[in-house]
Amino acid sequence: MKISILAAPLGLTLLFSSACSLIAPYDRAAYEHATNAKVDTLALMSKATGSYDEHEKEVEALVRQLDKAYEYDRGRQLNKITSAQWNILRDPNRDLVGGFLKMWKAKGTLSPTFIAEKKKQIGDAFDQIIQLESEKLK
Amino acid sequence: MANIDVGSILKLVENQSKALAEKLFKQYTHQAVSDVRDFLQKSTLNLKRWVEELARGEMDKDEFESLVKGQADVAEMRALKQAGLAAVQIDTFTNGVLDIIVSAAFAAIP
Repeated sequence: MKISILAAPLGLTLLFSSACSLIAPYDRAAYEHATNAKVDTLALMSKATGSYDEHEKEVEALVRQLDKAYEYDRGRQLNKITSAQWNILRDPNRDLVGGFLKMWKAKGTLSPTFIAEKKKQIGDAFDQIIQLESEKLK
Repeated sequence: MANIDVGSILKLVENQSKALAEKLFKQYTHQAVSDVRDFLQKSTLNLKRWVEELARGEMDKDEFESLVKGQADVAEMRALKQAGLAAVQIDTFTNGVLDIIVSAAFAAIP
């Protein structure tokens, strides 16, 4: 009889813990993708006082790296919020990484003051993805 | 058959769940409010500095505009993070309540 009494709460626990999550658990690979992408993005941005054409290959590599990080997160269950954050960050028609790279291409070079300010802003944007990932349940 | 006092189990679960909710959500609310306040303060200081840099000719109008619009994008990403953190708190609460139910049920078995 004790077994059947115990089985009810245990069964409930298993059922609810698997069915009731609202958000994906922490993923170390996703965290590393975001932190690596932040470092590489800020490093490339520092070069935007120089000609875009000279750095086009590096820009393409960075865009690919960001696309991979996005696709990884997009493929995770219950991870729509993080995917939406990546979309804002990468969108060339907005004003974070995608917009910065688009502007660099259009203008050829960018001013050192703007680059310094934009690096702080984009660093803060990456931190929103990184902080959310690190707070997910482990 | 074991004599289980279901009423006392439910009361225990209710009290402990209430305490857990108060602790978790109070903590979350405090962090969220503090995060928004910091962001607004930083944004105000940033805007003042960008206007001065634009006036000194250290950046052009397009660059200034990109910074202002970019700040709105960061605000959106920050709001998404807060929504995600709220979901994490709810998951933590759900798991906590399940632990409370199991502990209370085991404790009630003679």
